[in-house]
Amino acid sequence: MSVSVESEPESPEIDDAVPPARRRFGASGWLAAGVALGLLLGLVAGLLIVPTLTRPGEDSAEAGFARDMSTHHAQAVEMGMLAHQKASDSDVRTLGGDIALTQQAQIGMMQTWLREWKLGPTSSRPRMAWMPEGSAGLQNGLMPGMATDAEREQLRNATGNAFDVLFLQLMLKHHLGGIHMAEEVLKLTDDAEVRRLAQGMVNNQRNEVAAFQQLLKKLGAPA
Amino acid sequence: MSISTPAGDNKRRPSVVSTGKKPPAGKSSSTDTTSGGKSPSSTATKASASKAAPGKTAAGKAGGTTSRPGGKPGASGGGKGRKPIAPVKVSQGRSWGPIAMFVAVGVLAAGIIGYGAWAAFKGSQPWEKKAADISGIVNYRDNPDKTLTEANHAWGPLTYKLTPPVGGNHNYNWQNCMGDVYDAPIANEHAVHSMEHGAVWVAYKSGLAADQVEKLASKVRGNEYMLMSPVDNLDSNVSLQAWGYQLKLDSVDDGRIDQFISALRQNATIEAGATCSGGITATGTTPRDIGKDQQQQGG
Repeated sequence: MSVSVESEPESPEIDDAVPPARRRFGASGWLAAGVALGLLLGLVAGLLIVPTLTRPGEDSAEAGFARDMSTHHAQAVEMGMLAHQKASDSDVRTLGGDIALTQQAQIGMMQTWLREWKLGPTSSRPRMAWMPEGSAGLQNGLMPGMATDAEREQLRNATGNAFDVLFLQLMLKHHLGGIHMAEEVLKLTDDAEVRRLAQGMVNNQRNEVAAFQQLLKKLGAPA
Repeated sequence: MSISTPAGDNKRRPSVVSTGKKPPAGKSSSTDTTSGGKSPSSTATKASASKAAPGKTAAGKAGGTTSRPGGKPGASGGGKGRKPIAPVKVSQGRSWGPIAMFVAVGVLAAGIIGYGAWAAFKGSQPWEKKAADISGIVNYRDNPDKTLTEANHAWGPLTYKLTPPVGGNHNYNWQNCMGDVYDAPIANEHAVHSMEHGAVWVAYKSGLAADQVEKLASKVRGNEYMLMSPVDNLDSNVSLQAWGYQLKLDSVDDGRIDQFISALRQNATIEAGATCSGGITATGTTPRDIGKDQQQQGG
């Protein structure tokens, strides 16, 4: 009974309970003050630290995407510039220049994110580590769709119609890998800017894949 | 604790409802049984509870909203019964729970905030600081000899004071640095231009064992702003260069290789946004003056 009395029975005997209640209020008053102080400290600390905690961190999907897609894009720029310089077909030449300019601009956007997030442009983390089972998608250490050193050399040495066809085939594979990565980050992030760019990549590169297939057909080569 | 709460509820319910009816007998008796041998106190409390209820009902009828005046008589009546039961020891016992919880939450919060602050500090460390922390690294940007980090364009062979160079005047064309792994020596004049664009140049002593070379190559391949080549007569097995920085190492397994790459790759550029593609992809130590003829014709 003693147990029950001390807890709630103030209600039946409110006034009798005043002195102990006041004492209890004193204790809970201290507690409340402590909590309030804690919240205040938390608020002050939060104002200083929350911006850091809320922006993507070193190991975040956003940062991993920005870094890996920059590298992925850089190779598309390299191949696009080659096509812009030496493709025989004027449509392939135009497409190469378009890809190079667009993707170089997107690299700039992603690098700017990293700077705004106070992160370095590169990381020693493995490629695709930001994606679930991302490292399983690596081929000889290269991200999906990336041309190998041998393929890059082949492209540099190719001429005429053979160059155009090889460029379209390599870029088609490259875009499919890029679309996959952009779709993955869309599953992982709520960041509006990241989503906007990633969705744009998916839409735009899908259209270009269709264009590659049409051009390959026009040039009489398999897609 | 677990006992007090249900007991209290049982006590409270009749008084709050306070419709003039007596508190349910079953409930109060069950409370009594739980409290065991302390029957005098329990009866007193029960009495006070039953007194309080009619008192409240009366007040409610008379004043409508004022419950306080009604409460007084009932409560004072119950005072006698309550006093002997000093709840101090019990309340002491209960407050440990919240205290422990608040301490735990406080420690956790401090830990999270502390980690956040530390991570923020660590993360915001400028790359120059990270570079300076690598033991054995040499920063030639601070060197009084400014020719080491000059950055003018020039044609033809140039001489460099350092082997491999870390900066200085260089060819108009850069060496392709899209993670290119060159299997023969390349022209300093082109490689220096790549470093101006932010590349880390991984140089190794010509003749290094193939498996050692492959270990280095795996850090380079597929990574833009990286290039790798053998260098004749190098005074160490491995030499890492970025614009204005150098680190010479004897082992390809040295952890400082990753540290150097992580700190300086792309960061060390003095031409932000410059690319690594579209450069010279051929090997050979004689620079290729591609574009020189056109330039001379043009003026």
